[in-house]
Amino acid sequence: MKKKKTLIGLLAVLMAIFSMSSCASVQGYQKMYLNDQEMELSARSLEYFCTNFQSYREGASGANGGKVGGGCGCN
Amino acid sequence: MQLIRKLIWINGLLLCTVAVMAQNNGRERTSVASDTSQVFKIKKLAESDASILFSYYEQDGANAAVTGGRGTEQLTDLTSKIIVNLALDEKNTISFDGGFDYYTSASTDNIDAFVSSASSKDLRVHGNIGYSRKAKNGWTWGLKAGGSSEYDYNSLQFSAYVGKTSKDGNRTFGLSGQAFIDRWSLIYPAELRGQNWVRTDQRRSYSFSASFSQVINKRMQMSITADMVTQSGLLGTPFHRVYFQDQAEARVENLPFNRLKIPVGIRFNYYVSDMLLIRSYYRYYWDDWGIQGHTASIELPIKINRFFSVYPYYRYHTQSGSTFFKPFGEHTTDVRYYTSDYDLANLSSHDIGGGIRYSPADGIGGLRLPGKKNRLLLLKEISLRYGHYTRTPSLKSNIISFGMNFSF
Repeated sequence: MKKKKTLIGLLAVLMAIFSMSSCASVQGYQKMYLNDQEMELSARSLEYFCTNFQSYREGASGANGGKVGGGCGCN
Repeated sequence: MQLIRKLIWINGLLLCTVAVMAQNNGRERTSVASDTSQVFKIKKLAESDASILFSYYEQDGANAAVTGGRGTEQLTDLTSKIIVNLALDEKNTISFDGGFDYYTSASTDNIDAFVSSASSKDLRVHGNIGYSRKAKNGWTWGLKAGGSSEYDYNSLQFSAYVGKTSKDGNRTFGLSGQAFIDRWSLIYPAELRGQNWVRTDQRRSYSFSASFSQVINKRMQMSITADMVTQSGLLGTPFHRVYFQDQAEARVENLPFNRLKIPVGIRFNYYVSDMLLIRSYYRYYWDDWGIQGHTASIELPIKINRFFSVYPYYRYHTQSGSTFFKPFGEHTTDVRYYTSDYDLANLSSHDIGGGIRYSPADGIGGLRLPGKKNRLLLLKEISLRYGHYTRTPSLKSNIISFGMNFSF
């Protein structure tokens, strides 16, 4: 029951974020900062190895571009 | 020694592959250029890129699952990976990634209790090939197939991706699916051989993922990724021992045939100033084996100048233990599922470290490749990263990684 409540709460937060209308419309020529390599919305390529080991050493994995349980003897 | 020579050969072959691909790509572009000159159209040349990554990892602890939740977890791993994205034209890209892990493990030595087993040193090789296409109206899609092989585990992998970027480029929505078809070579602990402990040697994993990214303002953007992973088959490890309080002999770890995992991750990046950025990440994880986890990380890239940056980072993870986990000698024989693998225990971990990145605008150095167009293989970026990891109750590890990015 507690798990269900946590999941429902999380979904509600996600829905709220998705429906945010306060995001500004940023034009292409205004994306100088957003186009910086450090601003990429993904893990760094060098993080691949760390993420890989963490998926072996921890029961939790996924949602970060790393392994999710297949392809190796990990969880 | 022979194995190290093999590894050097593999690395050499990977580097040659990049060079050959670069040359072929040069030829492709030559033909595009001659075609366009006939119709007087200016076509933008798409740039291809390649990354070569290396890492060295070492760990030690006192809770090896091979010996029932106690005993050394000492392990070293030398890894190399190459990723090539070959732009055929502005819309079509072929990608390739491949690499190897060469590892030594003290705990797998204990599969055979008193004799060093062949599995204590091993090589895992893996590779994928993919195709992606930018279609009309901001749509992109891609396909990928590949596999991996090691002494006791083989895997085939297939994946597909479709994404849509809004007209102004401020939001992207993506859906992807992955399938893993895996097979174990069943190796039981030495004293438990001669009896069949598991129902199957197969494992199937299917993953569905939805992602959404949004530009918030000129300096902020965020993304959300939600995965749903369903697994079936042999989800335990056949050489993991479990010891019981009411029986002297060990058994092979036994875990359910199915598992459902739901991780949801949020990234938020903020360009604070020309000197400082914030990269942050949070993940909530739930599965039907009783594990709930929270992972949070923060990275603070500091730009020393336009080309050089350093970034300290910290990551914290905590999880509740699986209902099937108990430490050494605490299980009773009347339970159906049991493991003493501390990956599934109630635990917390800290990962702290930092990295440096050097990426000058004109590149670091180049090499003219033979061919009609004399394409330039340009080393664009080098990066180095170190991390120190501790996990309750006893595991400690260090990892150092090095990467080079090229364009051609």
